[in-house]
Amino acid sequence: MSYAIETQELQYRAGRTFELGPLNLHVPAGAIYGFLGPNGSGKTTTIRLCLGLLRAERGGVRVLGHDVPSQAPAMFARVGYVPERSHLYPNLTVREALALHGAFHRRWDHQAAAELLGTFQLQGDTRIGRLSKGENGKLLMLLALAQRPDLLVLDEPTDGLDPVVRRDVLMALIDFVSESGATVFISSHLVHELERICDWVGVMDRGRLVAEVPMHSFKNGIKRLRVRNAPAQAGDPPFVLLARERGDGASGTEVWVVRGWQATMRQYFEGIGAVLQDVVDLDLEEGFVELLRTARVPRGS
Amino acid sequence: MFAAICRIQWKASALGVALLATLAFIIPLLTVQQAGFSAGDRRGWDLIVMLSAVETAGTLFPILAVILGLTLSVGAWSADHQAEHVYALTLPVPRWHYVLLRFGAGLLLIAPVVAAVGLGCAVALGSFDLPAGLRSYGGAITLRFALAAAVSYAATFALAAGTKRTTAAVVGVLTAVIVLALVLEAFGVSTAVAEGIMNAIFTRPGPFEVLVGPWSLIGV
Repeated sequence: MSYAIETQELQYRAGRTFELGPLNLHVPAGAIYGFLGPNGSGKTTTIRLCLGLLRAERGGVRVLGHDVPSQAPAMFARVGYVPERSHLYPNLTVREALALHGAFHRRWDHQAAAELLGTFQLQGDTRIGRLSKGENGKLLMLLALAQRPDLLVLDEPTDGLDPVVRRDVLMALIDFVSESGATVFISSHLVHELERICDWVGVMDRGRLVAEVPMHSFKNGIKRLRVRNAPAQAGDPPFVLLARERGDGASGTEVWVVRGWQATMRQYFEGIGAVLQDVVDLDLEEGFVELLRTARVPRGS
Repeated sequence: MFAAICRIQWKASALGVALLATLAFIIPLLTVQQAGFSAGDRRGWDLIVMLSAVETAGTLFPILAVILGLTLSVGAWSADHQAEHVYALTLPVPRWHYVLLRFGAGLLLIAPVVAAVGLGCAVALGSFDLPAGLRSYGGAITLRFALAAAVSYAATFALAAGTKRTTAAVVGVLTAVIVLALVLEAFGVSTAVAEGIMNAIFTRPGPFEVLVGPWSLIGV
């Protein structure tokens, strides 16, 4: 498998309190990779490290085959970046920002830019400093899409946008990806949003990558099981036991959160003398919450 | 690329450049008027007083050049500082290339003000007949102004390119050394440090030598 973004033992420290890594991130080429994590987990820092905007203490980054930061200019010719906060010059008008961006990108698509300007209902003569948050978000997405990148790196692109604008931005993104087959690396803490569009997911927590799996495996693999009469020692289960908690009431029922569950694994419970009462599918958000919870608490505590 | 950078830099500095170009045009006119060269009655001319007035008025040229350099360098970097340089760093050009584009665009914007100086000199010097024995230096002043503005722009551009901390450190160290030298001299300890620094900067072959010395539009 070839990777659009690949980090090796990437490490970074900001002050005394925040440490990131060692991080081994693998974003498959052509994937829409959702980069999940709570606020302050290190998503933006990771993105900035991947783009050479921050210098890592240790480790390496390759983006589209380019070593970062040494080959960052060549990399940026093929990467569209939407940062968390607008990085555009506030004294320029929308039209001037398009002209400036287009002048630096050889693959700039004037027609696509004009179409997106209409789709997003942006006024060319408006100064960027006067744009609303939603309009700024749309302009950033427009600039990133019209440069026809091979990789889009989107850092919380819809954060703080109203539902209508969010839908517009995501629709434009999906249209572009379906046309071009580009790789998308999109960070968000809005789990439901990523669930709809991503085929890979990576989860950050406290500067560590706690999971990196295909979306279907993430969604299907994490289950909540209701188990009765389970012994104190679970033995060697065929799945990953993420959490084990006492259920409601005094019936001796427990709730197990597991990863890697398959229907054939029911036999395991017969083997340990327990009764599997129920298997509950978790949606991405529940799975995400369970994953973070179990990543933070030592198993069995 | 260069045209795009020029356009945005022009937008950031246009007002300042227009104002300074107007002043640049007016200074030569004021110089000959203040010195009395454009007066109709020449019988009471005192050439020494008049040339002294020309020289005094000429000090406005280096001041204008420094202000121009400062205006253009602030215009070159203010937008990038506001955007924390993220936009510039995500453009597909090496950093040195981007800095050169910014520097070149600012250098180009010196041209209208230099042209205004040249035009002002030409109009001012064409408004009267130069007395015998005197020579005009309109071309030399214009060229020197261009050099002074470029030097001033280059220095302030380099300072403005850094972070606030870097700029403060450079200015702070220079100021501290000079203040320390002055304090020591006030206590009777002769160091000649301040004088040495000033000499290194402002006398030949110092980088700012072009700014000092007489800027006489008319001389012998």
